[in-house]
Amino acid sequence: MSKLIGFVNKWRQGASELENGVVDQFLLGQLDRRAFFRHGSRIGLSAAVMAGVLQGAGFAPIGRAFAQGKSGGTIRVAQITPSGAIEPVSVADQGGLLPLALAGDFLALDGPDLVLRPMLATSWKPNEDGSVWTFTLRPGVKFHDGRTMTADDVVASIDRLADPANGSNALSAFKGVLSKGGTTKVDDLTVKFTLDAPNGNFPYYVSSDNYNAIILPADYKGDFEKNFNGTGPFKIETYTPKVGATFVRNPDYWAGPALADKVEISFYAEQQPQVLAVLGGQIDLVQQIVAQGSQSLFDNPAVKILRLKSNAHRQIHMKNKGAFADKRVRQAVALTLDRPAIIKGLFKGMADPGNDSPFAPVFPSTDTSVPQRVKDIAKAKELMAAAGAEKGFEVTLTTMQMQELPTIASLIRNSAGEIGIKVNLKIEDVGAYYGDAVPGKSDWLDSEFGITDYGHRGTPNVFLAAPLLSTGTWNSAEFKNPEYDKLVASYIAALDPAAQKAQAGAIQRLLLDETPVIFPYFYDYLTATSSKLTGVEGTAMGQMFLHKAGFV
Amino acid sequence: MSEALPLTEPAPGLAREARTRGVVGRLLRTPSFLIGITILLFWAVCAVFAPSFVPYDPYADDLLNTLQPPSAEHWFGTDQIGRDVFSRVLVGARAILTIAPLATLVGTVAGTAIGLITGYFGGWVDAIIGRLLEVMLSLPLIIVALLVLVALGPSTPTVVVVVGLVFAPLVARTVRAAVLTERHLDYVAAAAVRGESAPYIMSVEILPNITPPIIVEGTVRLGYAIFTIASLSFLGFGVQPPTPDWGLAIAENYGVLIGGFWWTVVFDTAATASLIVGVNLAAESLQRALAE
Amino acid sequence: MSGALGPFLLKRLALSLLTLWLLSVVVFFGCQVLPGDPARAILGPLADPRAVAALNEKLGSDRPPVEIYLSWMGGLITGDMGQSYAYRSPVAPFIGSALVNSLKLAATVFAIVVPLGIGAGVLAALRAGRPIDRLISVAGLSLTVIPEFVSSIALILVFAVLLRWLPLSASWPAGSGPLVQLQHLILPALPLVIVLFGYIARMTRAGMVEALSADYTRTAILKGLPWRTVLSRHVLRNALLPTITVIAAQMGYALGGLVVVESLFRYQGIGSLVLGAARAKDFAMLQAGILTVGAFFVVTTLLADIVTTLLDPRLRTGGRR
Repeated sequence: MSKLIGFVNKWRQGASELENGVVDQFLLGQLDRRAFFRHGSRIGLSAAVMAGVLQGAGFAPIGRAFAQGKSGGTIRVAQITPSGAIEPVSVADQGGLLPLALAGDFLALDGPDLVLRPMLATSWKPNEDGSVWTFTLRPGVKFHDGRTMTADDVVASIDRLADPANGSNALSAFKGVLSKGGTTKVDDLTVKFTLDAPNGNFPYYVSSDNYNAIILPADYKGDFEKNFNGTGPFKIETYTPKVGATFVRNPDYWAGPALADKVEISFYAEQQPQVLAVLGGQIDLVQQIVAQGSQSLFDNPAVKILRLKSNAHRQIHMKNKGAFADKRVRQAVALTLDRPAIIKGLFKGMADPGNDSPFAPVFPSTDTSVPQRVKDIAKAKELMAAAGAEKGFEVTLTTMQMQELPTIASLIRNSAGEIGIKVNLKIEDVGAYYGDAVPGKSDWLDSEFGITDYGHRGTPNVFLAAPLLSTGTWNSAEFKNPEYDKLVASYIAALDPAAQKAQAGAIQRLLLDETPVIFPYFYDYLTATSSKLTGVEGTAMGQMFLHKAGFV
Repeated sequence: MSEALPLTEPAPGLAREARTRGVVGRLLRTPSFLIGITILLFWAVCAVFAPSFVPYDPYADDLLNTLQPPSAEHWFGTDQIGRDVFSRVLVGARAILTIAPLATLVGTVAGTAIGLITGYFGGWVDAIIGRLLEVMLSLPLIIVALLVLVALGPSTPTVVVVVGLVFAPLVARTVRAAVLTERHLDYVAAAAVRGESAPYIMSVEILPNITPPIIVEGTVRLGYAIFTIASLSFLGFGVQPPTPDWGLAIAENYGVLIGGFWWTVVFDTAATASLIVGVNLAAESLQRALAE
Repeated sequence: MSGALGPFLLKRLALSLLTLWLLSVVVFFGCQVLPGDPARAILGPLADPRAVAALNEKLGSDRPPVEIYLSWMGGLITGDMGQSYAYRSPVAPFIGSALVNSLKLAATVFAIVVPLGIGAGVLAALRAGRPIDRLISVAGLSLTVIPEFVSSIALILVFAVLLRWLPLSASWPAGSGPLVQLQHLILPALPLVIVLFGYIARMTRAGMVEALSADYTRTAILKGLPWRTVLSRHVLRNALLPTITVIAAQMGYALGGLVVVESLFRYQGIGSLVLGAARAKDFAMLQAGILTVGAFFVVTTLLADIVTTLLDPRLRTGGRR
C-alpha cells in the first residue's frame, strides 16, 4: 500500500496543476468520494492513480462488488421495438441503444455513477485551458470482421458525426463543441480533438453518453444492419427488424470473452407484455420499465429491480411573455406543485424532486445548499396578487401522449386551479407536439405552457444550453437573460470542480428565481432482471453492457 | 316497399301525424325499447346532473390515496392519481353524450345532402361521387378517423367533424337508395313540371317523404358514433384528459390492470357497454316500429 | 362459365382497380398534411436542422411530393412497393409479415365465429319465435355493438388476470409452434368474434326463415324427402347466400378493425403498421399498408360477388346489381 501512495506522490510531481487541484480538493474534503472519481475520470486521472489517492486517504477501493455469474447460457432480453433502422450515425431512439452497446464500444464508458471508465481509449488528457484533448487508444482491438482498430477508424467515426452532411443525430450535441475536421490523428494509437471552445466535460461527448459515438471502421458505408460490425463483446447472428436479434459471444473481445454464450433480444411495442414476460420467466432482462404499471414487479422475489439514479426529467415551460411575463406568476405556478406527493404517488418514490433547474442531485457539480422549493399555496397567492393576477387567468397546457405526461398535465391543472389559473389541456400525438421543431411550426416551441420530455445526459451542459440560453434552439420558454448566458458559458468552460460548483450554484439560484421552466422531478432509470442474472451494467441512457452478465 | 302511397293522399301531413302516433304507441309496448330508453335516460340524467350530486369532485386528485380498492368512502375505488372512480364514471356520461349526438347530426346532415344530390341527379354526378364514397368505405372507418386525427390533432370539434364525415358515406348510401325509389313518382315529376328548382324539389318535396329511413339510419349511427368515439378515446384521439370519460379511463388505467387494480377499468367498461346496448335496443325497436 | 359472367367480372375488377388507385391518391395527399418529415421523425426533435436536411436528402424525401408519388407509382407497377424511410429497406417484407400476422388473427376469428354464428342462426330460425330465438337475437344484437376494447378488457380480466388461463399478450415468443401461437391468438380473437357473431347469426336466421317458407322447400317436403335432406340440400344452400356475402364483407372490416385489438394486445398486424407509419411519416410504408387493407377489402367484396353470382344464377343477368 505504501508503494501505491509512493507512486501517487511521484505521479503528483509530474501532474498538471489541474490534476493536482482535483486531488487537493478531494483531500481537503471539498469533493466527496463519488465526485472525486467523476472529476478525476473526466480530466483523465487513471484508475490506478485514483485508487492510490483513495487508499492514501483511507478509503476502500472502487468497483461495485457483485456475485460473479457463471460462463455460458443465453440471456433473453426484452426491449422496446426500435422505431427505425439501427444505424449508429442517425439512431435517436432508445430501441437502438442496447443492440449498439452489444456490438460496439465507445472510447469511454460513462458508468451508472457518472464516472468515466476507459473502453477503446485507455487514457485522455486536456491541455491547459481544456480546448484540446488527447486520447490514447487501446492497442490490438479487433473489429468483428477481423481488422484491427486504429486511430484512422476513431478519427473517421467521430468526424462522421461532426459532419453536417451526414445527417448525424450527434450533430446537435457537438454544436459549439467539436466541428468537422476538429478530430485528427497523431499516430496510430493517439487521437487529438481540437474543440471550438474550451470544454471541461469533453470526454463525456465521446463516451457512451453520446450514444451515436460507437467506433466503426473508417470505411463504414451506412449499412450497419448488414453485419453489425463493431468492436463489441457480442457479434450479430440474426436480425429481423421489428422482431428481434440474436448475438453470440465475440471470442476475440479485447477485455476477454463475455460470460454468456448468447444474447437473444425480443422487441416489444409496449411495456406491459415485457413485465409479464419477466414475471413468467420467458425473459431474463427488461431494458427499461416505468414505475407506473410495474407494481407487480416490485415485491416479487423472482425479479430484481436495478435502480439507476438519472437526470431524465420533464420540463414544464412557461413562455416569458403574455400571462407568464411576470416572474412572480411563474414562481406561483411552481409553488403549487406538491413534489414529494407526486414522487410517492406516481413514481413509488423512485425519483428525486427537481428544484426548477437542470442540476439534478445526481450531477456532482450540483450545489445542494440551494433550498428546495416546496408547495406553498399561501405564498403563491401572495405572488399572484403582487403581480396583479389575483383573479387568475385561463391558459392552455400543451403536451403529448407519452408515459405519465397526460397525468402530470392533469395534476398541474388541479394545482394551478388552486391559485385561480384555469388550465385547459391539449394532449397531442408525439409527432404533432414536436412538429417541425422550428418556431412557428412546432407546438413544443410555440405553446405558452407545455410539458416536454428530456432524457438522461452525463452532464447538464445540453440542458443548460438549448432550452434556456437566449440563443437556444429549444427555448420554449423564450427565456432571455444575459446574466444566465454568461454564467452558463463560464460553467461550461470551467475545468476545476470547485469553480464548476460555484457557477452551478449561481445558475441554480438564478433559475429558481426566474423560473422559466419548472423541473418537477428527475426519475430513476429502472431495469428489471431475473433474480438469477447478475453482472448487468446499465446506464441511465438506456444502454446495457452485458459483457460481465451471467447466471448464478 | 309495398306501402308507399300515403304520399298520394291529399293531406300527407295528417297521414304522417297519424302514422307517428301509431309508431309511438307500438314502441311503448315493446319491452326492448323500454329497456333501451331507460338506460339511455339514466345516462342522460347523469350527463346533465351528475356533477351536482356525485360525492367527490371528479377532477380532484389525492396522490396519497392512489389505487385504493372500493370501500365505503370510495364506492368504486380510486384511480392512479387518487381520483374517485364512482364520480368519474357518472360524470363520464357527459362527454360521450355530447360528442356522439353531435357527430351523428353532422354525419346525418352531410350524408343526407350527398344522398339527395347523387340520388336526384344520377348520371355522372352519381358516378363520380359514388366512386369517392366507395374509396372511403373501402377502409375501416376507425383507420380513416385515426389518420385524420393524427394529422389535425384531437380536439372536441375535430372529433365531431371527423366522425361525422366518416359516417356520411353510409348515410348517403341509404338516402340515395330511398331517393331513387321516390324520384320516379308522380309528385316529383309534377313539381318538375311546375318549374320548381332542383334544390326545392329535393328539400321540400322528396326529403319529408324519406324521413323514416333517415331517422332509422340516424339512430343506428348514434350507436356506432358512441362505439367509434369510445374507441378513439381509448386510442388517445377522442376525449382528452382530464375530462372524465370511459374510453379514456380504460386507456389510462389499462397499464395497471395486471397489478390487480380491476376497479379502475371495470366500471367504465360496464358503463360503455350499457350505454351502447341501450342505444341499440332503442334504435332496433324504432326501426321495426317504423317498418311495420 | 356462362358468357354473362366474364364481362360482369371484368367490369367489377376495373372498378376495383380504379377504387384502389383513387385510394392511393387520397392517402398520398392526405400524407402531405401530416406534421413533420421523415428525417425529423428518425432523428428526433432535438436533432440539428442541418442533420435533418442532410438525412432528408439522403432518403430522397426532400423531393417534390408529386415526384415522390410518381416514382412510387412507377415502382408499384413493376411490383416494387418502395423503400421504408424509417427502416431504410424495402417495404414489402414488413407488409408481408404484418399481413401474415393479421391474417392469422383474422383466420382464428373466422374459424370460431363462422360455425358459431351460422349454428346460432340456424337454431334460431328452426325455433323461430321461441325463447331460444329471442335469446340469440338479443344476445347477438347486444354483443355486436360492444366496442372491441370494452369486451377485450372484460375478457382479459377474466381469462388472463383472474383465471390466468390465457396469455395476455398476442405476441408469442419467437420460434413458437402453431399451438402456442394459437393459444396467444384466442384472447385477441374473441372480441372480434363477439362483434361479428350477431351479424352472422342474424343474416343466417333471416335467410333460413325465408328459405323455410319458400315454395321449393314446401315442394321438397311434399315430395316426401327426409327433413335432413331438405334442410341440407334446399334450405341451407339458399339461406347461406346472403350470409356468405356478409362474411366476406366482414373480413375486410376485421383486417382493419384489428387496429384496436392490435393496440390492446400489442400485436404487430397491418393496423398497427399503418398507424406507426403515419406517425413516422414513413410514406411508402403507409401507402403500402393502406393499399393492402384496401385491396384486401376490395378482393373480399369481389369474391363475395363472384360466389353469390355462381350460386345464384339469377343475379348474372344483373337485375339487382
